[in-house]
Amino acid sequence: MSLVNYATREITCKIVYYGPGRSGKTTNLHYIYGQVPGDRKGQMVSLATQTDRTLFFDFLPIDLGTISGFSTRFQLYTVPGQVYYATTRRLVLQGADGVVFVADSQSRQLKENVESFQDLHANLAEHGVAARDVPLVIQYNKQDLPRDMIMSPDELDEQLNFREVPSFAADALHGPGVFVTLRAISEQVLQRLSGKGGR
Amino acid sequence: MTSPYATILAGLIRHRGVKGCLVVGETDGLLVDSTLQFGVNGQIFAALTASLFRKARRASQAAGLGDAAFVQLEAENGRVCAVGRGELVLVVVAEPRVNLGLVRVDMLKAVEALA
Amino acid sequence: MKLQVAADWVEQPLKAFVDDARAEIAVLMHPSGQVLGQFGFARSVDVQTACALSAAIYASAGELGRQMQGKPFTVMHYAGKARQMFLAPVPIDGGTLLLLAVFGEESTLGLVQVYFQDFQRAAAQAAPHWTGAETALASDFEVELNRNLAAMFGRT
Repeated sequence: MSLVNYATREITCKIVYYGPGRSGKTTNLHYIYGQVPGDRKGQMVSLATQTDRTLFFDFLPIDLGTISGFSTRFQLYTVPGQVYYATTRRLVLQGADGVVFVADSQSRQLKENVESFQDLHANLAEHGVAARDVPLVIQYNKQDLPRDMIMSPDELDEQLNFREVPSFAADALHGPGVFVTLRAISEQVLQRLSGKGGR
Repeated sequence: MTSPYATILAGLIRHRGVKGCLVVGETDGLLVDSTLQFGVNGQIFAALTASLFRKARRASQAAGLGDAAFVQLEAENGRVCAVGRGELVLVVVAEPRVNLGLVRVDMLKAVEALA
Repeated sequence: MKLQVAADWVEQPLKAFVDDARAEIAVLMHPSGQVLGQFGFARSVDVQTACALSAAIYASAGELGRQMQGKPFTVMHYAGKARQMFLAPVPIDGGTLLLLAVFGEESTLGLVQVYFQDFQRAAAQAAPHWTGAETALASDFEVELNRNLAAMFGRT
């Protein structure tokens, strides 16, 4: 649920990074946190287990500056990927303005990707939201791994991207693809706010 | 289950002119037990009286007078008396015609049994 | 400390609550974690973090309640050594908001509860009906978005 304040000309949007366990959602936020200048970001909050797996969520508020006269802020969240945190994922997804689905490109993770993608749609439905109405982009992470271990973006598109939303190859650990993914979801979310509809 | 303060409160409410008596947590302002006549909002009264008692106690300490023993508030349409022991405050709200001397004596006796 | 609001109707009820309950921090937010008004924080990003965590606590407690007793736990109170936290729902026309209050020695849970009830009433009266997302941006936003993203990441 984006918040638009006409009096103070501020926009705040919630973007959720969704995907299976260990696909790189938190890594995306860490990279963004590392790149964004100090005056444009808040503290990165990680509610994690002792083994650094996301327990509840990671949270990073960033200030995107002024767009069309509105001071624009994004709140980036990740969900815990592990199957048994289903309830938590649903809670964090509440009120999301846009979703980045982070898929693990490793061939052996295909089943987990598909299940998580279905889980995303089921959770949106539980919130009474039609999945097609929510801005969504897909990121195929870990494309830096050896070719024989991973599926190509085209192959992954075949398996996951039946909605034909924008998709991006990424190596979230080192940065490639992180920025372009954030840019794409930002565009979609703000396009939707501008009344142009987006996807 | 009967509250351990029921007997104390029943004794105080019997005084002519007493509209309500309460046992209140001093630090949290929450109502522990009460006997109230219709029209007295126990929760609000408890919170505000506990706050008043805390402030009176602090003021007394700041002035070097030691702990506040008995706080009495006279208003246009009634009286409020409070006495504390440990974490608890015993509060009585009464009409102007109440025999304050008698109520005070009974409150000081009753408060001994509070903690 | 200044009161900051994202919606005009929030100002009066929130100010009254802060004054009456002697709260050190008070934040009114949407359950998704979006702030509507706040008192006590200096930086907006810190408010956002508080809101995200509060929304998470509230959502977790609600879900825990549903699992344990079939209906959500709603009001939460945590007493720390020096400060206490109170988190509770504020029903308004068309939805529910959350109020987070942090208070210290100057107040008590009883006072906060009493003035929270006043706040609930005032907010319910003052809040407009929730209308959902509204159109906001001009058509040139794409250029500015790209410029700002590039500035943020130091490259295009």
